[in-house]
Formats: sequence, structure tokens, C-alpha cells
Amino acid sequence: MTTASAREVGVDPDGRRRYELLDDTGFDEVPKKYRKFYRRWNGAGDELAPNEAYCPVCKVVVRSSRELRDGDKIYCMACMTRLVIRVDPSGRREAIARY
Amino acid sequence: MTEDIHSLDEDEFFDEVYSFQHWFDSVEGYLHGTRNGRKSPAAEVPSEGRRQALITILCNYCVGETAALETSSGLVLIAPNRPLKVFLATQVVDEARHLEVFYRRLSELGVTDPEAEITKRASPSLLAFKRCLEEMVEARDWDAAIFAQNVVLESMEYTTFNRHMAGTDAATADMLSRILRDERRHLGFGETQIGQRLRHDPVLKARLSKVRAKLDPLVLSCFSEALEAMEIAPSERPELAKDYMQAMDRLGVK
Repeated sequence: MTTASAREVGVDPDGRRRYELLDDTGFDEVPKKYRKFYRRWNGAGDELAPNEAYCPVCKVVVRSSRELRDGDKIYCMACMTRLVIRVDPSGRREAIARY
Repeated sequence: MTEDIHSLDEDEFFDEVYSFQHWFDSVEGYLHGTRNGRKSPAAEVPSEGRRQALITILCNYCVGETAALETSSGLVLIAPNRPLKVFLATQVVDEARHLEVFYRRLSELGVTDPEAEITKRASPSLLAFKRCLEEMVEARDWDAAIFAQNVVLESMEYTTFNRHMAGTDAATADMLSRILRDERRHLGFGETQIGQRLRHDPVLKARLSKVRAKLDPLVLSCFSEALEAMEIAPSERPELAKDYMQAMDRLGVK
């Protein structure tokens, strides 16, 4: 799967899809070298890719170079929050702030 | 090669994001090349009715930003360690910038004496909220002050600015969009600080609930006044309080 700013490049031994994050998502709120790990949420109609999660604190999309699974820990640099991924039985993926 | 942000350990992450260097490298992305806090070249002057409403809104933003500027600088003194002092110093700079660009916009709208205009138009609820913040800093009450400023006030500002952006002139919207980028850092910082403190101090939750009970009527009143000035229908207002309520739910402060 390829989104506007990420390309699927293979699968890890544990079965997770791996992504190449392309450099510019237009997200300008973090230092240049980290910008590809974030993008803006485009509102209703926007969809999260398997390597993305929505930050509940500041409403930006956090991106990873790997498919996100339950228990994964990620960082939202835009609001400096630690997040953990939770996947409910229906498969819905959610990022929860952890302090 | 870019470092994978998610592979940093937690100490490295906080060392990075609470640093002045991080602040500098972040704001460069959206403030470089701006003038008066925005990139849009010409500032429109709206029709008289809208101009008056915008002046009232901006005067109240100035009260909120002055409160945040004074509280943040007071908090530098009582912050428990160096990284938190440094982060708060960056917040002081942000708040001073916000105050300055709001003053500039007031001037563009024809306000010749902003201080007098602010005195005339300031919301009594917002002034009362500002006094509460001052008392917390004077009492050196770190938890209550961070909660009131970086969680409550910042959530309120975040929601208000966001909604205001959607229905105002291009110059004001551009200025607000760049302020909102700063606000993300401030509210995330506050929520993390309070969240961490609550993990280690179960008694704190009850104390912050009392702080919230005192501030909630002021917050709701400020929200209501701001949204009325923006001519937002009452039916839409509960939806706008959602972010604030969700932040309280995440922290478990009832």
C-alpha cells in the first residue's frame, strides 16, 4: 500500500508490514529530521494507514516505519506526549496517552 | 540517516523535546519568514460590526496570553528541575510572541490605545481566572498552577482559536494557525506533567478536582462569551467543550 507520503517496502519476520516514510508530509511543527513521522489529520474522510495513529492530545497523525500493533509505544513530538497503541477486539486501533 | 523517533528511550525523548534547541528547530518551520506572526501579506479590515466583534475577541485573547506569560514566567522559578525550567522558558517566549501579534492585529484594526480597549472589553470571568492563576503562582503551588494554566487554560485557548480560525479573515486565521502550533506543545507538556504527578500522588487527584470545580464555571463562562462574539450557534457549543472534557477524562480529574 502506498499513501501520499509512505510506501510499503516489505514485511518483517514477525509479519508486520514495513514502510518507507517519504520526506515531506507538509508537517512543519517539529525539527526537519522528524517531520516525516507526523502529518496533519484532514478531518472527516481521512483514514489512518496501518502505520499511523491519531494523537488524542493534539490531534495530529503520528507515523511509524512499521505497522502499529497492540502495545507499541510511540511518541507525539508535536505535543511531546508518550502514546501506547491499543487494538480492541473489533480491530479498531487507538493511541492512548501514557504518563 | 534520520533517527527513528519512536526508538528513542524515554529519557532521550524528554531531554530532546524540553530543550531550547528543540524549540528553536520546531518554530523555525512555521515562523521563519513571518511578519506580525503571519505570512499573509495584507490585513483586511472587516465590516464595522465584524471589526468590533474581532476587537473584543482579540482583547480577551490578550488577557489570556498575559495570564499565560506571567504564569509561565512565575513557574520557571518554582519548577522542580532544569529541563522543566528550560521548557517553561520557551513557553514564556511563545506567550510573549502571541501577546505581541495580538496587539499588532488590534493596531491594524484601528485600535490606538490597546490597554484602554482591553480594560473596557475584558471578560470578568477571564479576569477572575487570571487572578486564580496569580494566586496559585504566589502560593508556589506547582501542581495547581500547571493544571490551571497548561491543561485548563491551554485547552480552552486551543479550542477557541481553532474554531475562530474557521470563520475569520485570512490574516487573523493565519496568525491563529501559527499560535495553535505553539499551543500543542504547551497543552501536551501540562497533561504529561499532571499525568505523571497523579501516578505518584493519589491525593493530588482530589485536590485538582477541587481546583477544577472552582475554575469550571469561569471556563464555561469564558467559552460562552468568546463563542457568542464569534456568532457561533448555542447548539454547536457543547461540541466545542469536548476537547476540554476529554483532557479531564484522560487525567481522571472529575
